[in-house]
Amino acid sequence: MFKNLSKSLAFLSVVGVSLLLACPSANSVDFPKKPIKLIACAAAGGGEDTEARGIAPYVEKYLGVNVMIENQPGAGGKIAFEKFQRTKPDGYNLITYTFPKSIIIEYMGKTNYKTRDFTPIFAWSRSNQLLVVHADTWKTFDEFLKAAKAKTLAGGLSGRGSTTHLAGLVAVDELGIKVNWVPYEGAAGSTAALAGKHLDFTICLATSALSLIQAGKLRPLLMFSDKRDPYFPDVPIPKDLGFDVTPIPAIRGVEAPPNTPPSIVKVLEEAFSKAVKEPAFIDWADKRKMVLHPLSAKEFSKIVVDTYPKVEQFKEMFKE
Amino acid sequence: MDVVTQAVTFVFQWQNLAALIAGTIYGIIIGVLPGLGPSAGMALALPLVLKWHPATALIFMGSLYKCSNYGGSITAILVNTPGDASNAATILDGYPMCEKGKGGVALAISATAAMVGGTIGMICLIFSAPFLAEFALRFGPAEYFLTALLALSIIAAVVQGATIKGLISAGLGLMLSTVGFDVVTGHLRYTFGWSPIEDGIPLIQALVGLFAVTQSLVLAESAESISRIGKLAGGFWEGVMTYFKYPYAIIRAATIGLFIGILPAVGQSSAGLLAWAEAKRESKHPETFGNGEPEGVISSETSTNACMPGDLVCTIALGIPGSVGAAIFLGVMIIFGVIPGPLVFKEKGDVIYSLFVALVLTSFILFLVGITVARHFALVTLLPNEIIVPVILVVSLLGSFAIRNLMADVFISLVFGILGYIMLKGGFTPVPLLLGMVLGEMVETNYHRALMISGGSYSIFYSSIISKILIFLTFLSLAGPYLGPVWKKLTQGEK
Repeated sequence: MFKNLSKSLAFLSVVGVSLLLACPSANSVDFPKKPIKLIACAAAGGGEDTEARGIAPYVEKYLGVNVMIENQPGAGGKIAFEKFQRTKPDGYNLITYTFPKSIIIEYMGKTNYKTRDFTPIFAWSRSNQLLVVHADTWKTFDEFLKAAKAKTLAGGLSGRGSTTHLAGLVAVDELGIKVNWVPYEGAAGSTAALAGKHLDFTICLATSALSLIQAGKLRPLLMFSDKRDPYFPDVPIPKDLGFDVTPIPAIRGVEAPPNTPPSIVKVLEEAFSKAVKEPAFIDWADKRKMVLHPLSAKEFSKIVVDTYPKVEQFKEMFKE
Repeated sequence: MDVVTQAVTFVFQWQNLAALIAGTIYGIIIGVLPGLGPSAGMALALPLVLKWHPATALIFMGSLYKCSNYGGSITAILVNTPGDASNAATILDGYPMCEKGKGGVALAISATAAMVGGTIGMICLIFSAPFLAEFALRFGPAEYFLTALLALSIIAAVVQGATIKGLISAGLGLMLSTVGFDVVTGHLRYTFGWSPIEDGIPLIQALVGLFAVTQSLVLAESAESISRIGKLAGGFWEGVMTYFKYPYAIIRAATIGLFIGILPAVGQSSAGLLAWAEAKRESKHPETFGNGEPEGVISSETSTNACMPGDLVCTIALGIPGSVGAAIFLGVMIIFGVIPGPLVFKEKGDVIYSLFVALVLTSFILFLVGITVARHFALVTLLPNEIIVPVILVVSLLGSFAIRNLMADVFISLVFGILGYIMLKGGFTPVPLLLGMVLGEMVETNYHRALMISGGSYSIFYSSIISKILIFLTFLSLAGPYLGPVWKKLTQGEK
């Protein structure tokens, strides 16, 4: 066994060294000259972390320097955001999280940061929120809506103040129904409770319910999006059913600290936008059922500005 | 049967066997390093295996996931530092065994438990996953609330002998569990504007304080080495033999671990603690628990090792992750095109059964690693304290920092270290505090959720058959100490 251990260790170290050597050397432009730190507001293995680790190798290819992932979970990212607000805007420190989580946090309590101060660089994916019910209950959204108007239903959430919560509040407001929201910690709890018929419906990110839908336990009724989700082509969107629900998608992207110079933003934006076009990255995203939806720095900034009033409208409802 | 034979042949191909052994060893190393649990281990290894054959990659990841727990118990036993929250209960008797020079024996028990507990869990997973997953779904908020209440009632047994101090400790634990963001109402409680505790008091950081830091303080002031007798007593085989002397404890612990594992919303950290407390309650000599009782290590280790396959039940059968580690494993499976759910046994049967065979095999390889390598680790308990204490302190605090890359966590560990020291000197046991911290939130949030669903009606707590059974068991657990003597009198009277 000792032999095996030392062999494996040798193998691991060889792999480690070759990975280090494989990284291309710095290019001739004055930025970047040293490794870039990408802060993921999640523990290793969390959604934000997985996407960051997935895209990093391709960004490295275009930036010519290492991109190191640093995990800063805690308080939904608040700890990381507050630290990030004061970080030097030299382009060597970037952050990735699920937008608009940061804005919701601003309205839930006191914060020492403002999302609108951050410098958006690029966003690559979006996740749509999905309304699911148990397969033994309503067959269509109309049936569901009729039931929801007749009595107050219990709806599961992946967390109070989550992006799912916001999507749920927006939907309920525009559909004119009342709901008993039951918050969980993560979609695992809320989808499991629905599969066990302890809840009437659940709103969660589409990917979280995939297995249970395929298993025939849950039925998707409505996808909160302005166009159909490629992985759920049969699930209607509000527009199909004649409702005017403004969807607030969950966006994964990267931002720089406040007041980052435009020249640096441009270099970074270009690298990220090229990285998402890499066939290997697209293939990886497809395996994870990620919906790629690239947004330029300008488009991302506009979404940040547009999202503030929507969150503010519901700020009272994040707390009970 | 054909699928299983194919799976066995597949796993024994050299590259899969190599992946399995590499995963086992990498898992143990990850487990030994404080602050790096199975989740971080899998996330860090993912880029390495992306290009591999899906089944080979899953075999590597699966054995890594399975074995990191054993690595965590090595440090828990030898230096009083849990590698992950699930190892907390192993400390309680494992470390005192080291003090008696029986570090090698405790490690052997832990390795045997990994093999036996893991295999029992895997057999249940292989043969009844769909059935067990259906059972888990019947647990709603009301049932979770009652389960947590039943678990809390075990505290009554743990504190026997020092009831007041035990209850103070449990109360403190319950109070600490209320700190942070209330997931149901959305309010921040007792954080005093300090964001590092908005998610609640971080469990591993608190454990590092309560055990590693406290113990370093104790070691610094007393004995010359962790092993008080200055040498090692008892060999590895003594541990293996001891393990099999407690068949009833093994079955009880495996059942508790499996049950906790199957329920998606109950953390792994409680599996070991509950099995330990239950063993103490049923023991004829409860006072030996916490003082190096082998049955304590047997119970907690068997339970945590049976818990991991339990976690995989809902993960594989329904795609609902049973724990944080299982959530990462679920993500890995999806990346390799294995979408969990009832269909997975038909569509990707070859991959799933290879994974199962590999997970059984890895338990045995873990045992082999245990007898060849880990026994030598016991030698650290002979190192002089002036060398080992700074090492324990630095490594454990580094681990505390590494989890969130946050200096505040080191501070939290130090505060809990001082708290632990005061408790130790005052004769308070940390077990009720831990149970309170682990179960408090589960009691509170599920009580709240149940009432939100029922619209305020309390009937939700006793309407289902599972609820009624849980209420009965809780009553039995609380009344047990009083009913026991009465029962004895009655049966003796009949004679």
